[in-house]
Amino acid sequence: MAQHDMLPAETVHDGRLGISDVVAGSCQADAVGPAGAEGSPQGRDSSPRPALHTPDEPVSLKGLGKLAVVLRSMWSQGEGRFALVVLACWIVVSLASIVWTPKKLWETDGYHVWAPPSADHLLGTDGTGADVFSWLMAGARTNLLIAILSVMLAGVVGVTLLMAMVSRSKMVSAISVVAVDALISIPTVLIALILAVPMGASIAVIILACGVGYGLNLARIARPQALLAAGSDYAVSARASGASGGYVLFRHVLPNSLPSIMVQLSLSAGTAILAESGLTYLGVGVPSGVPSWGHSLSTSVKLIDVYPLTVVWPGLTVTVVVVALNLFGDVLRQAIDPIVNTALRKVAA
Amino acid sequence: MSVSIRDLGIVIGSQTLVSDVDLDIADGERVGLIGSSGSGKSMISKAMLGLTPDDAVLSGSVNLSGVEAVGADEVTLADLRGRYVGTILQDPFSSLNPVTTVGRQIELPLRLHYRLSKAERAGRVRRMLAKVGLDAGLADRHPNELSGGQAQRAAIATALITSPRLIVADEPTTALDSIAQRQIVDLLVRLVDDSGASMLFITHDFSVLARATTRAYVLEHGRVVESGATSDLLAKPSTPQAGRLVGAARKLALE
Repeated sequence: MAQHDMLPAETVHDGRLGISDVVAGSCQADAVGPAGAEGSPQGRDSSPRPALHTPDEPVSLKGLGKLAVVLRSMWSQGEGRFALVVLACWIVVSLASIVWTPKKLWETDGYHVWAPPSADHLLGTDGTGADVFSWLMAGARTNLLIAILSVMLAGVVGVTLLMAMVSRSKMVSAISVVAVDALISIPTVLIALILAVPMGASIAVIILACGVGYGLNLARIARPQALLAAGSDYAVSARASGASGGYVLFRHVLPNSLPSIMVQLSLSAGTAILAESGLTYLGVGVPSGVPSWGHSLSTSVKLIDVYPLTVVWPGLTVTVVVVALNLFGDVLRQAIDPIVNTALRKVAA
Repeated sequence: MSVSIRDLGIVIGSQTLVSDVDLDIADGERVGLIGSSGSGKSMISKAMLGLTPDDAVLSGSVNLSGVEAVGADEVTLADLRGRYVGTILQDPFSSLNPVTTVGRQIELPLRLHYRLSKAERAGRVRRMLAKVGLDAGLADRHPNELSGGQAQRAAIATALITSPRLIVADEPTTALDSIAQRQIVDLLVRLVDDSGASMLFITHDFSVLARATTRAYVLEHGRVVESGATSDLLAKPSTPQAGRLVGAARKLALE
């Protein structure tokens, strides 16, 4: 940092930090500088910086405490309880289906096709005589994978675009705003159809289409809140403290945009489940033979007039999970906001 | 840190906000900048640190102890900010990040400019809080749990934590009640004097100006219309513009 050398000697810090120390006349005790033992002002000398050490700092359990408080806050609301129970069931069933399903997936009974619910087949059988409940259990696993990966991709794409859209570089923000506005007009289904041309029907098509499509939506919807944060006094204050544009974006703008982002991501998870059903029905989603809720729907929907129950079960499952995801986002937004959630502030202290 | 501003001009679009401003602050001096709203006071303070809007065009010179701030690259400016120059903004609540604890915000300049362990930073924040008259427990609170006076003290602690050589206080008392105003000004003056730093104190309130500074500049429509010892400016302003400002302040005080 060349400018340090340009500063006259009297204005260059002598390495002592803290006006409080100066006021208290305890400069010597708290002196930090080239001769200090614990650290030196960056760029002040070329000697290697001593390693940071915090030997007497206890391992922080605040992270765990915060998670517990967030979950407790969500549980305290009816919608939160419903969302948590449904999502917990979804995860447990998905994991259980890896090792166990009531019937083997490929075990079919040609004499009992389209069978109504019975003790042997809890939710009945489909047109091949396969157990609907077992296929829904296995499908939960596929849909969970699709939801998680779609949300992760949407988060990465959305947050990257969001940061570009509110960046201080006029060129970067202008280009990203135009790009998002242009790309957002392409429907997710069309993206999936285009991707299916080279890739064929696959789970990756759903994840890529949903991830990119919902990422664009996220960036567009969270932008107003991010712009407010980027233009706020605390962003100016951080810059006045020496923070770079990137630091302000990721440590000030992003945390203050999280409520919008979290709601949008949870909505994306729900929409990804719906998209899986739609795309699988169109033949560009989950390939034939791979269990998914969309697959269960698409194989039975043609005979909905005759055997409505086999459509009702996957349809009901999708509806309940999507509603739970939407409620989850709404409740989570309030639970993670330290301004709204007083319990979270206490655990931070 | 000494400051020498020469022929400073700030233009945004077709609007000239500041023109031909000359201003000097000697090492360890407390200088005031007073003017009505929209006179360009804050814009001058922002120009000193390269914090003017991106579409602002600056001319002239802002010399901070040998470092030219006008046209300086971002790395140079970022190193000046927070480390050599501490800034206090007008509204204590809006200048604190609502989702971050007060302690983390106070230690930000330390994190950015100095390599210290977490325990060292926490210790310095604790001592700084004591110096500005705040309880150490406030470090773990969020800004919305503080009163206006407490929030401004936290903002002062943030500006002073690295022992900067220049403090730019941009109307730090405007958003406070009269009792808190007096306390904050006295605290700021004491801390600045004890550290030997210089201070540019921006305000539109003559009573605050008299308490905080020894010399002042009067700004109107982006131009310096009068300068001199603060007591002289208050007692017998020599220009009609300064006279109007002082007269208005007296009228308000009498009412």
